[in-house]
Amino acid sequence: MFGLAVRSVRRRATAFVATFLAVFLGAVLVMAFGALADTGAATGVSDLDQETLTTMAVVVGGWGLLLVAFAVTSTLTLSVHQRAMEMALLKSAGATPAQLRQMILGEAGLLAVVGALVAVPFGALSGRGLLALLKRTDQVSEEVAYAFGPVALGTGLGVTILAALGAAVVTSRRVAAMRVTAALSSAAAAEPRPKRMGKARVIAGVVFFGISLQLSVMAALAGPEGFDAMQFAGSADIMFGLGLACFAPVLMRWTTTLLAGPILRFSGASGYLAVLNLRQRTAQLASALTPVILFVGIGVGTLWMQVIHNDTTPLSGVSASEEAVETLNFVITGMIVLFACIMLINTLVAATTHRRREFGQQRLVGATHRQVLGMVAAENLVLIVAGLGFGTIAALPTVLPMSYAKTDSWLPDPEPGLWLGTAAVAVVVTLAASLGTARRVLRTPAIETVARAG
Amino acid sequence: MTGSQTTRNAPEATEALRLVRVSKTYGGDGTRVTALDDVSLALPRGTFTAIMGPSGSGKSTLLHCAAGLDKPDSGTVFVDGQELRGRSETELTKFRRERIGFVFQQFNLLPTLTVLQNTTLPLKLAGRRVDLNRARAVLERVGLGQRLDHLPSQLSGGQQQRVAIARALVTAPSVLFADEPTGALDTHSARDVLTLLQESVRVFGQTVVMVTHDPVAASYADAVLFLADGRLVGRMSNPTAQAVAERLTYLGDEVARQRRQQRHQVGLDASVATAGRPRKEI
Repeated sequence: MFGLAVRSVRRRATAFVATFLAVFLGAVLVMAFGALADTGAATGVSDLDQETLTTMAVVVGGWGLLLVAFAVTSTLTLSVHQRAMEMALLKSAGATPAQLRQMILGEAGLLAVVGALVAVPFGALSGRGLLALLKRTDQVSEEVAYAFGPVALGTGLGVTILAALGAAVVTSRRVAAMRVTAALSSAAAAEPRPKRMGKARVIAGVVFFGISLQLSVMAALAGPEGFDAMQFAGSADIMFGLGLACFAPVLMRWTTTLLAGPILRFSGASGYLAVLNLRQRTAQLASALTPVILFVGIGVGTLWMQVIHNDTTPLSGVSASEEAVETLNFVITGMIVLFACIMLINTLVAATTHRRREFGQQRLVGATHRQVLGMVAAENLVLIVAGLGFGTIAALPTVLPMSYAKTDSWLPDPEPGLWLGTAAVAVVVTLAASLGTARRVLRTPAIETVARAG
Repeated sequence: MTGSQTTRNAPEATEALRLVRVSKTYGGDGTRVTALDDVSLALPRGTFTAIMGPSGSGKSTLLHCAAGLDKPDSGTVFVDGQELRGRSETELTKFRRERIGFVFQQFNLLPTLTVLQNTTLPLKLAGRRVDLNRARAVLERVGLGQRLDHLPSQLSGGQQQRVAIARALVTAPSVLFADEPTGALDTHSARDVLTLLQESVRVFGQTVVMVTHDPVAASYADAVLFLADGRLVGRMSNPTAQAVAERLTYLGDEVARQRRQQRHQVGLDASVATAGRPRKEI
């Protein structure tokens, strides 16, 4: 089965780009921060420097691990899901569930090893750049020598590969459980999913909200001094965003209900199809909502938090550790936001490509290219409104307690520029990914897209 | 639109479809396949025509070119006296939704739309007023009056195909093309679908062109056109299943014999190979 895995990856390189990218970027990040730990562990580094370096390595590296695991799982699941048909064919040709698991594991392993190995030189370079940044801002003394050693390589290679394999195991279980007939019949593939949410999802969502609330309360009570408030508030938006993500289908349905009227009134046949799709296929469209919420929530939340912090800290009092924290915040935010972006693009591109047949059917009934693109735009408009709305809500558990702790007022000064900037990126990325893919899909003659089985 | 062309070439007003010297070739140099070779035909309004031939004879290509879903390399297609050539993709789409109905082997209903929504979709896309009573009446006619709010996944294959026929009829097209409409159905459902197509011609004066490889399906038509290696090779009026089957068997043998001969000739004289008609894969 490994031979099949190798061929499968080679033949369909584009389908694996997203997974590869997630592994590669993840490995670069983990290695860069691992190198800080290596640097700090070298003999002759002062205790203070060592502490700064190690803290950074552990905090950021830890988040990095979580992100890599999350991103790799989501991209891998998606790529396997898109190939339900192929998996079913393999099954009907006599492949046992164990063999399918081996194939998926083989694919993931291959991607992870190659991605992590390619990442080594980039990780080493990024680590060097990071150290230079710390030196320039006087957070680490000039004489510290850069080291890229066992921690960087060990965590970088080990963790990314393990994360990928773990994700593959989870994914392959689902595939093995799938019935051949269900995957092969096109009617079943199109059947609307059940409207009720799973219990596990609800529980996970409530737990995330609970943690977020806890962090918010602790942040609000932490007082104006130092970083205590920031320490708690900083993670509250992430937790709240994950909580909202658990309820994504419901949120999507609410937003659809809200916007259905205006869309139906102003966008004709395209809007009509978009609204029907949004109602019938909430789950599929909701999968893209998670990355938008995380992107907006964490982006706005963390940056605003930093602004509040900077505004309330007297300029004269800016110390090395202040800068270190600020750097950390920006790096973590940048990382999470980058991953959310990759996930968003990947989800949208994969989901839109998957609709090739549906677009073809619409065109055969008489939909022009413009009408199909209009439908995709209307659907993504709803996605964007939901993402911006709930993403902004996700930022509040970070921003409000932070403001209260620092200024005794729950309401911080508005930062329209910050919000608009984040929103603009979200809008551009979403529309570019979905409409760009749809345009590409529309280049195939309609009759060819429906001729292919499945 | 193309007024001058229309008047210049205006075929008889009683014609629903006319093909003039239509040719279509697929593939590059080494793998060149002639799907249609100089095909001309004219079908009067209100007729039910079946197109038959061995697999790979160019049946589907003929249908796609005639319906404006594929562009011929040379030759012209007139639907309802209007020329299809020289129109952009968008213009063709708009033309199709005004004048052409299409029924596929795989139904191609939109899975997220109900029976009624699927039926009225062509009208919505064309920006025409949706006459719900008419849509209901058409669905009633195909025997699905009680299933208006069902999704395609809740229907049997035969029922789905009947929805597809209702969808094709609702715009009152000049020509309804059907590509193996019974290919995915059991005998019983196939008979329902064929009767429905026949009825739309006899009772409502619809023009129907159907590609099929099933002699029984073809026997529902008024006439059968036989296609082999991209050429029209015969016509049969008032066909019976048996006569069609015999003709088809003979046609298959004939094509095989010609191909053997061609290969033989190619073996004798390699230079003739380019002149000889390229072989189509079966």
